[in-house]
Amino acid sequence: MRSGIARGQGLATAIMVVPATVLYAVMLVVPVGLAFYLSLTDWDGFSANPAVVGLDNYGRLLGDPELRRAALVTLLVAGAGTAGLNLLGLGFALLVNGRSRANTFFRMVLFYPHVLSALVVGFLWSAILGTTGAVNSFITQRGGEVLPFLSDPAWATVTMIAVLVWAGFGVNVVLYLAGLQAVPHSLIEAAQIDGATRWQTFRNVTLPALGPSVTVNVVLSLVTLLKTYDLVVSLTAGGPAGQTQTVAYLILWNSFHDARLGFGSAQSVVLMVVTAALAFVVTRLRRRGETAAHQ
Amino acid sequence: MRPRHASRARAGALPAAGVLMTLVLAGCGGGGFAGEERAQSEGGTTEVRMLVNITPNLTQTYWEGLVKTFEQANPGIDVKIEAPSGKGVADTLQQQLAAGNAPDVVETLMADETLAPQMLDLSDQPWVKDTPLAQEAALDGKIYTVGVGEQAQSLVFYNKTAFDKAGITEPPKTWDELTEAMGKLKDAGYLPLRTAGDFVTGLQLLQLSGPAKAVAHPNWYQDVKAGTLKAGESMLPYLERYKSWLDKGYLDKNALGLKYADAEASFLSGKAGMYVMGSWFTAAEADAKKDFEVGVFPAPVDEGQSYPGPQGATMAAPYMILKSTPHKDAALKLVQWLVTDKAAVASQLQQDGNFRTGVEREFTPLEREVQKILDEAPAKVAQGEGYGADTLPKGFNSAWNTEVQGLYVGKSPRDVATAVDRWLDSRS
Repeated sequence: MRSGIARGQGLATAIMVVPATVLYAVMLVVPVGLAFYLSLTDWDGFSANPAVVGLDNYGRLLGDPELRRAALVTLLVAGAGTAGLNLLGLGFALLVNGRSRANTFFRMVLFYPHVLSALVVGFLWSAILGTTGAVNSFITQRGGEVLPFLSDPAWATVTMIAVLVWAGFGVNVVLYLAGLQAVPHSLIEAAQIDGATRWQTFRNVTLPALGPSVTVNVVLSLVTLLKTYDLVVSLTAGGPAGQTQTVAYLILWNSFHDARLGFGSAQSVVLMVVTAALAFVVTRLRRRGETAAHQ
Repeated sequence: MRPRHASRARAGALPAAGVLMTLVLAGCGGGGFAGEERAQSEGGTTEVRMLVNITPNLTQTYWEGLVKTFEQANPGIDVKIEAPSGKGVADTLQQQLAAGNAPDVVETLMADETLAPQMLDLSDQPWVKDTPLAQEAALDGKIYTVGVGEQAQSLVFYNKTAFDKAGITEPPKTWDELTEAMGKLKDAGYLPLRTAGDFVTGLQLLQLSGPAKAVAHPNWYQDVKAGTLKAGESMLPYLERYKSWLDKGYLDKNALGLKYADAEASFLSGKAGMYVMGSWFTAAEADAKKDFEVGVFPAPVDEGQSYPGPQGATMAAPYMILKSTPHKDAALKLVQWLVTDKAAVASQLQQDGNFRTGVEREFTPLEREVQKILDEAPAKVAQGEGYGADTLPKGFNSAWNTEVQGLYVGKSPRDVATAVDRWLDSRS
């Protein structure tokens, strides 16, 4: 009797798991598998009979100067962007943590840029920072020199990172706020009773308690920034001289503009593996840090 | 020979792969699904789907209005205008082909080695030979693409007031004269030549050097494809000249921060002396409010070459019919009408500022000058990536553009030329 019930429960569980499993397989496993298959072909996106070229596309990746440049830009964007998103996110979360109408208003203001499409954000900032944009017009009308926000490689990279941080840190604020509100108030009170300063309380109580939030924020920021594409299109179009092309931008460009979907697929497979590896490493390091902090 | 069933199996698997691949790469679906029901001959009406480019000039409303006349004259045919669902016509067509949902007719793209196998050979249609550049765009002797008109590419638009103030009485005919004119314009307080970032940087240099290069290397495309001529090396003199202009302050060193529309607006604001662009610029010029007159001259040639040189020309509003169309006759009828019917042709030329010898339409004074340049050109040659037999690998224009932009950020002309040749070698 009992084993019949257990069998029934097992069947019910299996039935309930099936839709999610099928969805996961169709939306993730199959496309990833196909991407890998296509990376072994010379498909141009038009023909019905691509030839299998083995690992040729992967071999070409190694010697591709465009990919090397884009990989460096992507790592820079991901590294500096993750730092910026998290420092600003945590900083503003601490500022608007209390319960008041003003804080509610400021939280909304801080989150607002994230609501905008990245394409809109890019066009908006290019209109502000372009050579004939609002800022440069203001400067030149007063006899100043044009600032090369988007026309100098170093400036353009910094501008792109700054705009990415501006557009994205609202999410980090929300995530850190959730983390801050989960920090036991009793711990903070105890630290204050013991005479700890605000910095000491933050450093020794709040920050360790925020460990899981930091991990989530860092990993999410890193993974998102490694895939940066749409802002590149609308803000810099990869320029000047290709110096702000990211790997994701290059993948789309190679796949669709240059009709080299096989090669683009190889790039996307590599990006996926690198992103997963980085996310894994960061998560492990953070967990180790969190464990050490709790001991 | 590949077994028939094997070929079919691969062809069948690929559309599904394409749909899913599109999801992986682009993060969005689109273009429909394989096996989707297509409206065919419903109630005796044939639906012809036409994928078109949508621009500020060529809006969805314009296209729908254009084909209405055709539909009225052909009651059994319903033309469905489709706007790109992706970034442009090319990637939308890729998605649709992969999804087994290709349109019947596609506008904007021209046949190359990649696209030709998917397109209908129009060579046996008697009306195609009278359409502009059809023979020049033929691939292996087969005509896949037919167009409405021509776009002149190697044009230099100039500010007549600036030229007067700088004391330039005659538009420059050679590169040396052009450089001299730039010096005078700079002295008169103008930016001599308006350049920009985006895709404009490389395009302008290709347009400007086109006539001189076509005389110096009459078979440039074939020679580059055959590997007997290095593209970058052959362009080195023009790259060096361009760099010298940058060094002398004849070009805006911050131009890469300008998008295409910004450059156009900047020239039309009267601050620059010259602007290199294709004939479609006449449409923007006609709409602009300005306090100076714009003139135009063909791009200069090298010392000792006869002026004007061959004019870079591209097909305006090119059409192709997909080989897979189940409505071949209706699609042929539509495309024939689009490129031969006088009213339809004139309307399309007018709408997008294009030209066709022998077709009269309402011209602005500047457009009349452009038509004259086209009529008087000793020859018409391909431009950029080219077309027909004169086609370079896909992506050449953007690779060239990226490298030319390098001149603004410290690369030497020699480095740029080498990088261009390296890119071409990697695609050969």
